[in-house]
Amino acid sequence: MSGQNIWDKLQNVDRRVFYWILFIALTVPFLSPIGLPITVTPSTQSYYDGLKSIQSGEVVVLSINSGVSAWGDCLPAMIASVHKVYDQGGKLIVWSIGYTDVDITWAKIKEKLPDVFSKWKEGENYVYFGYCPGQETNVALLATNIRAIYPKDVRGVSTDQIPLMKDINGANKIKFVLSSDTGDAQMYYIRQWKNGQVNYEKTGKPPTVAEMGIAMNKSGDMAYYLSGDEFGLVAGSRGAAELEALTGYKGDATITMDSISVSHVLLVLAIILTNISMFATRGKKK
Amino acid sequence: MGVWIILDTKFVALLLLIAAFALFYAYMALAKGGMKIKARTFPAVAAIPEAIGRAAEMGRPVYYSTGMGQGTLNNQLNGPQTLAGISILGYTTRLCAKSGVKITYFTMIADSLPLVEETMRTAYMAEGKPEEFDPAVAINFQNEQSPYLTASLGWIQREKPASSILMGGFYYEAVCIGEAGNTIGAMQIGGSANTHQLPFLVATCDYTLIMEELYAASAEISGNLDVIGSLRGEDILKFFVLILLGLGFILALVNNNSLISLLKV
Amino acid sequence: MSQIYKREMVFIVAGVVAFVMILDYFFGKNIPGISGAGNLSSTLQTWALIIQLMAIGLGAINLIQVHYRQISRKTNMALYSAWFMVFFAILLLLGFYKLATGVEPYPYTWIFANVYVSLGATLYAITGFYIFSAAYRAFRARNIDAAILLIGGIFVLLANAPIGEVIWGGFPLIGNWFNNVGQVPGMRTFTVVGALGLLAYGFRALIGKERGFYSEVQ
Repeated sequence: MSGQNIWDKLQNVDRRVFYWILFIALTVPFLSPIGLPITVTPSTQSYYDGLKSIQSGEVVVLSINSGVSAWGDCLPAMIASVHKVYDQGGKLIVWSIGYTDVDITWAKIKEKLPDVFSKWKEGENYVYFGYCPGQETNVALLATNIRAIYPKDVRGVSTDQIPLMKDINGANKIKFVLSSDTGDAQMYYIRQWKNGQVNYEKTGKPPTVAEMGIAMNKSGDMAYYLSGDEFGLVAGSRGAAELEALTGYKGDATITMDSISVSHVLLVLAIILTNISMFATRGKKK
Repeated sequence: MGVWIILDTKFVALLLLIAAFALFYAYMALAKGGMKIKARTFPAVAAIPEAIGRAAEMGRPVYYSTGMGQGTLNNQLNGPQTLAGISILGYTTRLCAKSGVKITYFTMIADSLPLVEETMRTAYMAEGKPEEFDPAVAINFQNEQSPYLTASLGWIQREKPASSILMGGFYYEAVCIGEAGNTIGAMQIGGSANTHQLPFLVATCDYTLIMEELYAASAEISGNLDVIGSLRGEDILKFFVLILLGLGFILALVNNNSLISLLKV
Repeated sequence: MSQIYKREMVFIVAGVVAFVMILDYFFGKNIPGISGAGNLSSTLQTWALIIQLMAIGLGAINLIQVHYRQISRKTNMALYSAWFMVFFAILLLLGFYKLATGVEPYPYTWIFANVYVSLGATLYAITGFYIFSAAYRAFRARNIDAAILLIGGIFVLLANAPIGEVIWGGFPLIGNWFNNVGQVPGMRTFTVVGALGLLAYGFRALIGKERGFYSEVQ
């Protein structure tokens, strides 16, 4: 348009230009990794310390309430967590309270950890129950009667016949819950388990909760971590990369950190540019 | 049982709940009895007729959604947001029916469908145009978040609505739908009580209802005196909570946890 | 049943169920027949789940109605609607096959894992692009408040990326302060205030004053 200088045009750039620049910039680190160091935040350190506290034979629940679309943020943390549970000699119960693609997520976790699942025996070291829709209602019922929601596991084996579940039918035998979700699922466990009437028999305290969430929810979840409702918080790819650094199991999150660095720098540059153009055109109008 | 009730901290929570309900009821009764209670106007609610008028002038439809709401009304946080969104949908549909504007409602919450159909049908009937309501056109349901988002984005790109109203329990689709609306220059009004989506709604919408404003909006729309009275009760309760916060802060400074223990459930 | 009865029944049922759930939460273990597996509250919760699942059938009917309409009116979306109907029928048949035999057919798993899952992940990735353009538009220092938001946002962005600490050690320090201390009071305020609003809304719904979501249009 006539009368428009570079600063005016910058303010009205077609967003598709930015999308292309971003797309190209994001692919470069995948082809040529940079490998920047990652420092660990307190919330992830607390999460890892919680995993380290697992004694041999203690049972932990992995509640997968994130869909495949959130794999980028949540899957690496789940993989690192399962690996650490295995390292500590713990046992794992896996279920979902409402996401239909949990089967694919669990299959992916098993695919990424062949060294764990070649030694772990299903039914003795871990059990996978699949999903049952119901969200918080389910969580409330699971606190006192797991068999009411999951009478059998995905293999069709009755829960009564699963060795791991022999004496377990509620939260009182569960050390803690690792909730991977894209929304509020960890709050269900906080409300129904941690603040409920069930104590973990070994400590006499309620079973605790930790969260592996998406980066978008970090600001909201942080309040729960800081108040002590959660013992740890791993938020987004950054949190997952920190957890991978702590567990020593480097995975997809560490690889994506370079792309995150590039995209964030690009965004900051774009913001600075648009503000300069805004001030330049404002000065011109005056 | 009597001793157990007194010693259990849930009993304190029950007392507080009853006190809160009593407060709401008291102000509802006072308002109905003639007490003048003035509730401030929410710009977002006041902008709804403007949005419908814009659609009428431009001859384009209106997009309405209550978000993915975790796919069910049976959700503590999102169910009420969806219901609040449906209340505002009724008001919006009535305005659309009056102005002859087409409105399409997108959702992935299956158990809300009977409520939505009933609400929209009643809105058209209230304007004397029941024949203009066709659920196959006005309601678009998808079972999962990704199809619901794809359907919304595709519809927005094709139909180019003049106005887009997003009221309910939103998740990541808020920023996608909001930006899609911005791309086509739609007037956007948003509202959610999901804290993680508020920044995106504020960034993409022209008007936003934040947290409790979503629940209070239907009170303002209804204009019922007793319902507005409950808003005053809610504000009084906020003062009480502020006092508790201050007291807790002072007690925490002197390492006294009695208030925390009393209120813990 | 008349319309009036239909409307009032909704509120009576909602009120009774809410009362039972409140009793269960506060007095559950002391009132026999209310709390625990097989008792009233868990039965009601199970019924809620069943209703939720039944509603999916309603949704499927709506989907068929919407797309059939496109096809019968030969709109410009008719081809896509026809394609949808074909896929719907295929997946429905595959689902019935699984129901009948107990074996999940390979095409069913393949379509879910390779089509639906991939598309879902793509859509989630699109969010990043939309956030980029939203931030480009929103992060403009038009006034003091916007300028403060802009500066805080830049610190948080660079705290989240490893490159931030390479550029300057202060970025993660200040950015993490914003994350862990600065924004937490605001988020807690939102949560508390939202809960109070929800309490009032719930009370109004309980006593039947909040009727906008069921056939009472304002």
